[in-house]
Amino acid sequence: MFKNEEMEINLGPQHPSTHGVLRVKLRLDGETITHCRPVIGYLHRGVEKICENQTFFQGQVWTDRMDYCSAVANNLGWAEANEKLFGITVPRRAQYIRTLLNEFNRLASHLIWLATHALDIGAMTVFLYAFREREDILDMNEAFCGSRLTTTAFRIGGLREDLPPGFEKLVKKFLAKFPTCIEEYENLLSENRIWKKRTIGVAKLSAEDAIAMGVTGPVLRAAGVPYDIRKAFPYAAYAEMDFEVPTRTEADTYARYLVRMAEMRQSARIIQQCMDGMPEGPVMAKLPKIMRAEVNEVYHATEAPKGEIGYYLVGEKGSGNPYRFHVRAPGFINLQSLPKMAEGGLIADIVAAIGTLDIVLGEIDR
Amino acid sequence: MNKILRTLIPFDIAKGLSVTGKHFAKVFFTANRRKVPFHIVSEYPEVIAKVQPRFRGRLTLLKDEQGEIKCVCCLACEKICPTQVITIDKGKKEGRKMPFPVRYDFEMERCIFCEFCVESCGFDSIILNHQFELAAYNREDFSLGMEGLGQNMYEPSPVGKFSVADD
Ligand code: SF4
Ligand code: SF4
Repeated sequence: MFKNEEMEINLGPQHPSTHGVLRVKLRLDGETITHCRPVIGYLHRGVEKICENQTFFQGQVWTDRMDYCSAVANNLGWAEANEKLFGITVPRRAQYIRTLLNEFNRLASHLIWLATHALDIGAMTVFLYAFREREDILDMNEAFCGSRLTTTAFRIGGLREDLPPGFEKLVKKFLAKFPTCIEEYENLLSENRIWKKRTIGVAKLSAEDAIAMGVTGPVLRAAGVPYDIRKAFPYAAYAEMDFEVPTRTEADTYARYLVRMAEMRQSARIIQQCMDGMPEGPVMAKLPKIMRAEVNEVYHATEAPKGEIGYYLVGEKGSGNPYRFHVRAPGFINLQSLPKMAEGGLIADIVAAIGTLDIVLGEIDR
Repeated sequence: MNKILRTLIPFDIAKGLSVTGKHFAKVFFTANRRKVPFHIVSEYPEVIAKVQPRFRGRLTLLKDEQGEIKCVCCLACEKICPTQVITIDKGKKEGRKMPFPVRYDFEMERCIFCEFCVESCGFDSIILNHQFELAAYNREDFSLGMEGLGQNMYEPSPVGKFSVADD
């Protein structure tokens, strides 16, 4: 009498919990997902090709617009890849300021992840509290470079300007209150029975699968692999910083939540060390008047809040533009693990799986 | 036993409620009783947020003490702009040795407020001002020029007239 059929549905592209314009094709057997395929490309702008037609200097504005939640981290990767290509050494003070802003950006990105992830699962309150702290960080961005989200913070060879007067006070104020803020989030979530039911054992991704698929960032570290580029291949001033790489072994959504919370604490520690050990000196290296690359290729990877962001640049002899530009976007590669996480689970849990990957579609589609 | 107790008595929920309750009490007992409202957000059209000194707003041409446009048409800003929104025509003006821009067009709808133009200008003749209410109803309102479309770059942009305060 009753036929047993599988049903195919689309999640997105305009679904609010897909964090942008992600479409996920799902095949359902009752409430169980049997087949899941993410469909991307709705936000494709051709950033890589555009950058090939612009000078090295101009390319930075496009890196802002890839992962707009962590624009400073993207700027850092771009600037350092170019410095590698041209063989420029950045002054030490500039390195420290870069590290400082990069860690603030990590906090901002993790806060927006916490806010939206909790909102997707149903904890509305955290959203408002997390955005309150993120606002302070955006204000600091504005004080430093004049823009809040699309920062264009760094320049090839250093920084455009030194820290503005009064910046230290802002940082001090933020660091004084931030630990209590993290405690607030944890009081709201860590023990909460609904949060635990929705996250523990949900969207598992084992370490073998994660490594096989090239997944990086907190998703990999929550599976027990202590891989962090800040430690493995130190860049900027990270070699001089003392911090830990938090890991968990459970490899589920709750473990990723704990890893990111621990990372926020470590970021606050790094910021404190940057402020304490800030050297004096210039912030910009001497640059040649017109920058021309010799034929040369570089790949430079940095640890963005979402994982490893790598810039691959090929210079052309005598040309001011990159011959080839490619981005290894962490979101794009992390998203490939979504079928593994979601298949076999319930349809309600795919929202948790998307949220825990912390994807930004601007970066995935580029 | 402990687990049953924890399930029966919602400690976790009480913990969360204490956080929200604390914030509620803080706002409830301080709001509207202080001179300075104890809020995190301000009510936008009435209370306009202060921007930082380095804020990047709309492009503005500067004049020197004699009221002359400072720009000398070196075209550095036109060249460096990542979105190519600046168009300059070089010209001459009587009684001025330096070249004078007879046309300085700026298409704001494509500007990304990166400040590369200001950085490249060796004569300090442009800045990004502190204006952030840049929305307008017509596309033409975004094409700013020296006089061209009837809009003057030295004055606040035409969009000011649409703000709530003017009604
Ligand atoms: S701010 Fe950037 S996009 Fe706008 S005019 Fe200047 S260089 Fe061009
Ligand atoms: S860079 Fe300055 S002086 Fe040169 S054309 Fe632009 S505004 Fe004029």
